[in-house]
Amino acid sequence: MEVTLFIHAADDAFRILEKAKERAVGLLDTATKLTSETRWMEEKKVHAILKGAQETKSGFQNFVATFLMLFGFWALLSGKFDAFHLFLGVVCSLIIAYLSYDLLFANVRVGDVRIIVQRFIGYIPWLIREIVMSNFHVAYLALSPKMPIDPKVITFRTKLESDISWVTLANSITLTPGTITMDIEGREFMVHALDGKVADDLDTGEMEDRVAHIFMEADHIYIQDVLDVSRVFAKLKRGM
Amino acid sequence: MNEFFVVVGLGLCLLVFLVLYRVIFGPGVFNRIAAVSAIGTKSLIILLIFGYIYNRVEMFIDISMVYALLNFIGCIAAAKYLEMER
Amino acid sequence: MIISSDDIIIKTIARIFVPFIQLFALYVIMHGHYSPGGGFQGGVILGASLVLLLITHGYEEMRRRVPEGAVILLGSLGLLIYSGIGLTCLLLGGNYLDYSQLSVILHVDPAHARAMGILGIELGVAFAVMAAVCSIFFDISTGGILPEDEK
Repeated sequence: MEVTLFIHAADDAFRILEKAKERAVGLLDTATKLTSETRWMEEKKVHAILKGAQETKSGFQNFVATFLMLFGFWALLSGKFDAFHLFLGVVCSLIIAYLSYDLLFANVRVGDVRIIVQRFIGYIPWLIREIVMSNFHVAYLALSPKMPIDPKVITFRTKLESDISWVTLANSITLTPGTITMDIEGREFMVHALDGKVADDLDTGEMEDRVAHIFMEADHIYIQDVLDVSRVFAKLKRGM
Repeated sequence: MNEFFVVVGLGLCLLVFLVLYRVIFGPGVFNRIAAVSAIGTKSLIILLIFGYIYNRVEMFIDISMVYALLNFIGCIAAAKYLEMER
Repeated sequence: MIISSDDIIIKTIARIFVPFIQLFALYVIMHGHYSPGGGFQGGVILGASLVLLLITHGYEEMRRRVPEGAVILLGSLGLLIYSGIGLTCLLLGGNYLDYSQLSVILHVDPAHARAMGILGIELGVAFAVMAAVCSIFFDISTGGILPEDEK
């Protein structure tokens, strides 16, 4: 009789200990969640201050650059240069630049827009020369009776950083006959090449170097970056 | 100079008929979409050649640009619809 | 409910193209006298640019940029411009949509007043067509179920 009482008592004791253990584990979980949330909120605050400092300066520049490009496009389309049509062009470009100024130049570093546009215009003749030469090679491949093609899929990692340089490289690869960009996952490019010679032309990496030179990535340090960092640092010191 | 462009236009029409084979007999819908897109780019050039023959290029450039835009948007919309359907 | 596309090439190219497509649409509307174009064509191209933004960037981004109420408001504004110009011509003493009466307000000769009147009407038509295309596409893409109702 005392044994059964003892067994019941032990059972209750074990149940109480289980509940205490669950409560302790729950408390520890809440504590870790709270500390990680505060850390995450601190990081978000710093990130928001950085983004805010960059965006105030670049917003107006983006607006002006978008307005100029749109007005140039309008002047190209409409051959009439009398006052009424030019006034209409200015009004239309202003409205559209106001509504979508953050669409065109979303990731460009502040202050570099003029140099990038100049270098982009200088890149186009080289691209046309590459396209013409690849055209001859692919035409020779397609017209010879044996058709000595050797299709393969190449994967390579790229050193470029922003999405617009990825898109420029992918479009240049697709425009050059013989190679087609299939997919971009993170920084891996998947390219389908027609035979060994075009694949070797791609592997030398000359196109990637030229695209990196246009968007000023992966090789230079600019004084404008240092000045931007100092403004952002001043704002951080004030904000925190 | 006109005769040269007429010959080029006829050559492009012949290419359009070759691609039409893929539109009709292409197994599956992706072949048909790609073939229609290719026909679109060739018909752009044929429109411009028409404009040159009738000596009113500036009018036909507007039409060609509109058709290029709509071809692009249509191709992306078709691809999006098929992706969602899976 | 259209989600944004994962393909980075399509997203970047679509976001670069949209301002140029809209500017081209406005060019087609304004040059309706001289080259093929006019109100309906420009309105369709304007609507197509917003449809492109919708299918590549998803419904949330689209709602942030162009609220649905704004689209319908623009459509009504287009109709108001059209009938407003017609009624103004009526009130100034001529027939409905008789633009030469507008030369009193605009201080130009009747030929120029006709050109301005037609331009204004084309603008109204373009807004109405754009609103129709956009709202039909929005309604079809969401199936009438708003994101707030889904939660």
